[in-house]
Amino acid sequence: MYFAGIDVGSLTAQAVVINDKGIKSFKSIGVKPNPVDSAQTVIEMLLSEDRLSWNDIKFCVSTGYGREQVQARGLAQDNMSEISCHGLGAFWICPEVRTVVDIGGQDAKVIRIGANGELVDFVMNDKCAAGTGRFLEVQARTLGLALDELGVIALSSRNALELSNRCSIFCETEVLHYLQRGHSKADIAAGVNRAMAERVAALVRRVGMENEVTMSGGVAKNVAVRAELERILNIKLVRYGVDSQIVGALGAALIAKRMGG
Amino acid sequence: MNALQCLQSQSTDIFTEYVRDWKEKGGKVLGYACVATPVEVIEAAGILPYRIKAFGHPDTELGDAYLARFNCRFCRACLQLGLDGTYDFLDGIIETNGCDHLRGMFENWQHVKGYEFFHYLKVPHFVREDSLDYFEEELSLMRQAISKYFGVDITDEALLKAIKTYDEIQGKLKKLYALREQARPAVTGAEVMQIICTGSSLRGEDFGALLTGILEEKANASVPPYRARLMLLGSATDEIDLVREMEAQGALIATDALCFGSRSFWARAGGKGDPVRLLAERYLSHLFCPRMFTEYQERWDYILETARRANVDGAVIVYNKFCDLHGVEAVSQRMDLEKNGIPVLVLEKDYGSQADTGRIKTRVQAFLERIGG
Amino acid sequence: MTAMAAHELKEYEGLINRLSQVVKLSDAFPDQMSDEGLEGILHFLPSNLAGSMRAFLAPRIRDVSIEILKTYGAWLDSAFRAGEEGKKVFLIPFNFPPEVIHCFEGAWPVTSEVLSTLGVASLEGQGERYWDYAMGLGLPDSACSANMIEVGSALTAVDFKPDVIISDCLGSCDINSKTHEFLARYMDIPLLFLEKTVDNSERGINQYYLYFKTLVEEVEEFLGEKLDEERMREVIGNANRASELYWELWDLHKYSPCPVPNIFSLFLYGIRYTMWGTEDAVKAIEAMVDKCSERLKKGEYPAEMEVARAIWSYTSYYFDMAGFFNWMEEHGITHLGDGLDLFFPQVIDTTSRETMIRGLAEIARNMPMTRQMGASSMSVQWLDDIIWATRELDADCVIYCGHHSCKQTWSGASVMRSELMKRTKIPTLILQGDSWIGRMTPMSALQETIEEFVNNVVKQRRTTVRAVG
Repeated sequence: MYFAGIDVGSLTAQAVVINDKGIKSFKSIGVKPNPVDSAQTVIEMLLSEDRLSWNDIKFCVSTGYGREQVQARGLAQDNMSEISCHGLGAFWICPEVRTVVDIGGQDAKVIRIGANGELVDFVMNDKCAAGTGRFLEVQARTLGLALDELGVIALSSRNALELSNRCSIFCETEVLHYLQRGHSKADIAAGVNRAMAERVAALVRRVGMENEVTMSGGVAKNVAVRAELERILNIKLVRYGVDSQIVGALGAALIAKRMGG
Repeated sequence: MNALQCLQSQSTDIFTEYVRDWKEKGGKVLGYACVATPVEVIEAAGILPYRIKAFGHPDTELGDAYLARFNCRFCRACLQLGLDGTYDFLDGIIETNGCDHLRGMFENWQHVKGYEFFHYLKVPHFVREDSLDYFEEELSLMRQAISKYFGVDITDEALLKAIKTYDEIQGKLKKLYALREQARPAVTGAEVMQIICTGSSLRGEDFGALLTGILEEKANASVPPYRARLMLLGSATDEIDLVREMEAQGALIATDALCFGSRSFWARAGGKGDPVRLLAERYLSHLFCPRMFTEYQERWDYILETARRANVDGAVIVYNKFCDLHGVEAVSQRMDLEKNGIPVLVLEKDYGSQADTGRIKTRVQAFLERIGG
Repeated sequence: MTAMAAHELKEYEGLINRLSQVVKLSDAFPDQMSDEGLEGILHFLPSNLAGSMRAFLAPRIRDVSIEILKTYGAWLDSAFRAGEEGKKVFLIPFNFPPEVIHCFEGAWPVTSEVLSTLGVASLEGQGERYWDYAMGLGLPDSACSANMIEVGSALTAVDFKPDVIISDCLGSCDINSKTHEFLARYMDIPLLFLEKTVDNSERGINQYYLYFKTLVEEVEEFLGEKLDEERMREVIGNANRASELYWELWDLHKYSPCPVPNIFSLFLYGIRYTMWGTEDAVKAIEAMVDKCSERLKKGEYPAEMEVARAIWSYTSYYFDMAGFFNWMEEHGITHLGDGLDLFFPQVIDTTSRETMIRGLAEIARNMPMTRQMGASSMSVQWLDDIIWATRELDADCVIYCGHHSCKQTWSGASVMRSELMKRTKIPTLILQGDSWIGRMTPMSALQETIEEFVNNVVKQRRTTVRAVG
């Protein structure tokens, strides 16, 4: 008996299939303009690769953008908020986790979960670029770096520069100023990552933090942001054993199992 | 068409058919913004008291030319409608110092439009014998100003009659709230907000009659199934769509402590004596607004009593971005509600923003999942 | 939240605790300090503090700055010793006259916004961590950092705690009033309340006087101390002398190039909001007046020429502390004062308790922010005050700092700009940022905008170039 979860994000869409033994398979693709198409594509690709059919899936839950339309299209029997799904997915992977920091391309959320993975509290920022992956993208582009270079290069800095963290536009201006004045990309990148981490830490403080803490979403791959966040909050982030991008879809699948099992 | 349908057909118009008819018959209209304004005085003068609203109007281009983007968007939206001609039916304005944003709104509105009748009702921020005396005098001055400008004698009898009219309205609204708060609710939160918003654009006698019709219609009604009963608190919000969206997620707004809600009428009844003093005491002593800087305890007692009476599963505090009064108050309210076992969702919202409505859906859904709804 | 904050803070931290240690440094400063001596001291300080000190102690203002620092040191030290001396500490907003509290033997005032401003100048991280704590509790980020920095520190419960709070209610803007209300409840200390009616008619002023007298009685009751007329006379005597000196400084501003260093605008209201009514305040302002008179005599000005004379219509920028004030005058931009300098001091009749209390009430209702918020039209009053100041001081431009949290001035900024141009032909630059925290708009962006404004707008309008000498 299989259960599935579909999570459509701003940049990628994920599908996860689970059974009683755990995660059977998962898939991630770049999104299409229409979230329903993204959902349909990712789940059908996964089913095809697994040689499964829709009849093998007892229950499916959708989450993320367009989750209601995905359900309305018949691709899922129910929908849940990405907040609950992320929380539960993180808990399943690591039952000690109580705080999930999920920083995606266009939004950021901090989720507090209880001893059974239940949602206790949450806070979101889905309006302002600062504190999301978008902030890093803009600064990386200004520095002429690929996004995945931004964290690595910062590790060689010994003098992270001060940067505004309330506004990505002003931060971009400051980055240009520093470049013009001859500062190294490493030092500027270190400042960018620190500004990002400070913004994330501000979000964490709004909902409170309980150990253990984990980080997921695209920004979690930035080693310098992780290191700065650990320093600011004086913690050690728990690392997932699986690709953190699938956490939402995994949580949705777990809920599907609860509902349909 | 029944009373509720009649309501719904013009529920988000500013210049409604009712106001159009009133004006055509030679009636006068006075605009006001704040629930600290004793509308009985305006009613007693035979004038229509019209509470200034924007119903989530999204365009604020003209408003933004005067107010800044750091000012509350509700005020910018109202100013927009003031400057683009929508509120040209007003024959005058009563300003109140509700909050800094409102003051800014009124000042800019008057700067551009230059109403001949623009009266400032100065409302104290605390309740004490001397502030009540001052407010009583303010109400007398307001009465005199209206009388003089509109050439109408506001007698004590007329005032007492208006007070009685609004007392009756209060009684009916409380019955309406009983219908929404009962174990099997008969009215949704969106419907109640619609009723209260509409009522704030009607003469009291007509609002009273409308309410009688609604109470009859709703006596045996029931609402669609819901996941949880919530209480809604926060900033001046006349965004009926917002409440509808929340209820579409399964969150029944079973009660409220809103400015376009119970705060506009709840504790104002009873008492005897000089009508002006009576109004001063009613309006100032029971102004459940965070602008009353020394009255938190009274506000809190009222909120807790409301939450318990309606047997809510949780509370949602919505406040407009840049609203410092509610933004700070929300922290204390959240802590106190949670101490009393009531889970809370705090939402900061950009007034009039459709995009924000979408974001709120996610949060409300997550909140319902959290509280087990 | 308190648990998390305590985890991140040490016992000696907290705004007041830390500030009093920092300002104590000035005890070791000689009255005449050499550049080498200064560099020697700065070498040991953390970078933020060293930067502020370097700007504060620039050679042209060094001796006065040391005097001012010592005055602040005395102020904070007294707050600390208050408990031992059986005094109660009153947390007041900047728009409440501290001399009222100084009139009481058993009381000492500490001023929220001055604490925040000093914190921004001298603490590592410039007080931002306290802002973070306040935000962590869920307080809105549209709140004023001038208050939130102090609030954040107070919320951590490791800082020095006042005994009572005075709120200037309306008189203060909403966020200021609301913050003090919140803090009193959170810290479980009494809140005393003074409202200014939005009414300057005779009736309104009489009502305010009634409220003011009631507040004085409440303070007396809280302290168990009746006001002593002789003590009042002494304190108000000092305040009167300081008021006279204020107007001397005002007149010195009228010269061009301006002999009053930009940073004296800040010193002046820093003293006004904390120590007005004390002998220390009189000495500090005397030092400022003497310095300016000396500069006028010598024709000294830090730039080759004065290219702009600016009135800042409300607050200035503090997160770069003295650096910003000094930067401006090194570029020929005179800071003639800002809205917080317009406190219209007057000499009080000290004949009797009645005349003195009435005089204090008059002073209180003309304090910055109260004067504008307490008028029936805040924008009209603000505009009138700024027009008057620009004419008196021969300003050729106005700069509105655009502090994000200042909803009341933001609501009038547009009309202010257009009316100023209509009536005085003076251009206004509208900035946007956070006066106390650099995260919103960095200093480089502000400086660039100001330079463009001065070079492209103001300079073109000046008909005479004002050279030094």
